[in-house]
Amino acid sequence: MISKVLIANRGEIALRIIAACREAGLATVAVHSEADRESLHVRMADESVCIGPAYANASYLNVTAVIAAAEITGADAIHPGYGFLAENAHFAEIVEECGLTWIGPPPEAIRAMGDKANARRTVTERGVPVLPGSSEPVTSRDEAVTIAEEIGFPVILKASAGGGGKGMRVARDPRELRHVFDTARNEAEKAFGVGDVYLEKYLTAPRHIEVQVMADTHGKVVALGERECSIQRRHQKLIEEAPSPAVDAELREKMCEAAVAAAAAVGYVSAGTVEFLYNDGEFYFMEMNTRIQVEHPVTEEVTGMDLLMEQLRIAGGLALSIRKRPKMMGHAFEFRINAEDPVTFAPSPGTITELAFPVGPGVRVDTHIYRGYVVPPYYDSLIAKLVVRGPSRKEAIARARGALGMFLIGGVRTSIPLHLRIVDDPDFAAGRLSTAFMDRYAGRE
Amino acid sequence: MFTFEELVELIRLVSETRIGGIEVEKDGMRVHIVGPPAAPQYERTGTPLLPPQLAAAGQFVGNPIALPAGGAAPAPPAAQAGQGEEEGLSFVNSPIVGTFYQAPSPDADPYVKVGDVVSKGQVLCIVEAMKLMNEIEADTSGTIVRRYPENAQPVEFGERLFAIRP
Repeated sequence: MISKVLIANRGEIALRIIAACREAGLATVAVHSEADRESLHVRMADESVCIGPAYANASYLNVTAVIAAAEITGADAIHPGYGFLAENAHFAEIVEECGLTWIGPPPEAIRAMGDKANARRTVTERGVPVLPGSSEPVTSRDEAVTIAEEIGFPVILKASAGGGGKGMRVARDPRELRHVFDTARNEAEKAFGVGDVYLEKYLTAPRHIEVQVMADTHGKVVALGERECSIQRRHQKLIEEAPSPAVDAELREKMCEAAVAAAAAVGYVSAGTVEFLYNDGEFYFMEMNTRIQVEHPVTEEVTGMDLLMEQLRIAGGLALSIRKRPKMMGHAFEFRINAEDPVTFAPSPGTITELAFPVGPGVRVDTHIYRGYVVPPYYDSLIAKLVVRGPSRKEAIARARGALGMFLIGGVRTSIPLHLRIVDDPDFAAGRLSTAFMDRYAGRE
Repeated sequence: MFTFEELVELIRLVSETRIGGIEVEKDGMRVHIVGPPAAPQYERTGTPLLPPQLAAAGQFVGNPIALPAGGAAPAPPAAQAGQGEEEGLSFVNSPIVGTFYQAPSPDADPYVKVGDVVSKGQVLCIVEAMKLMNEIEADTSGTIVRRYPENAQPVEFGERLFAIRP
């Protein structure tokens, strides 16, 4: 069992983890950079340790500093949150070697899914559909063109070790493919130290639909249903919802089955997300995120489960609190409120001078900001998540419109005005979504 | 109208008192003089750059984590760091989070004691993190006037270890 949890993160997720620990009766340790001294997670945790300067590489990404903080405070478990060290298999290994409990998946599972080409092969063997493409890294331009002509253009080159859009290149014809091949390899080499790239069929306007899974150490893996996250810009999700307007009971069954198979294939434990692209009635495995995700509250709202609490239970060796997939009740949205210009998306750090939260049934705000808080320029621009639940999608949208209008944040620019426009978009209202949805908002005004 | 001499005097006033700025009006002419940057960059050690009014108010000097905050700030008790006492001191802060050790091994003599004269580059203590012993060196020569942590005590990043009078 665990008794004192160190939270290797900051911002809203650090607070969310502290809330779960408090409820579970666990002591908490916050770690923070010099820039986050005034952060709420520092104030709300039982203990706090400054682990480095503002620059994340020297603080939140500093493995030695985080472990040393656990040592000097006597913490016996580490929750990594999302981002930073959450998907660093090496860090997870060190945590375990130090005799601490890692609140997350086994390092081997992180590694197996972190290598994207390997993940693709592994899930294919379990019958999970993937986009047509190369099963091994592509080594030459000629080979790339041969495969591309077999599966049909457009195609996308992706870094095997990849993530975050780096090393990804789309090609519409053989000439373009020959042209971008070396660029993609070089970019992959620079970003990840490995130049391997693989090739996949490229879908121009698919839906992004993902399945939340949860697995315990007793071999039980359960899918908690899907979330649709098609509303993105530059591969960053903006709005997520559950259930997906494109998924019916039959499709849900198939996708959940595939997600459980993918997780089981790597011996998964704890919370994870299997991401799929959905196009013309077919879904394809994209990747697995081996961590709790930003958008986990959407699933919590429609299933009534507490995913963080579930992670703590699992880390303590307990069995999952459910035996089968819970029914999704009603409809939930998450709107990511970023400190950024709603039109240009330029970051907007600064002091929060005014703050009022929306109220009412089915309205939840996960945030770490307060009046007087200074949004530092060093980290992610996410400052709040507005989560809204309603009996139906239509009612949830109406509730979201009201809540967004009542959410006042002064001092920094936020994405709230952009969200207010999206909730009035006829395509959004009709559930006609795709990853190309935001193209119409790019560079407007 | 302001005379040239009056303007020079105003500029000198703003610059010497290090106030943020001043705005004065005379015979319909308004002058706005902005002082030196209000938020000086703290040096890790060396001459304090804090405005005198802050230093006098007992705020920490020369410490990169000088912001007082919820429990975590390693604030030296007022009795130990009284007004003016810290003037001219140079502080050695921990570059890492870990455990402070005064000596290379439990039965060895401490690297330094209060009152010792040390030279720049001399090892003052060890901060251990993940079984790695990190030797912390003096970045200025002078006399050790204070040691902050006890032996084997945990220290945070940026926490004060020693005060040196150059």
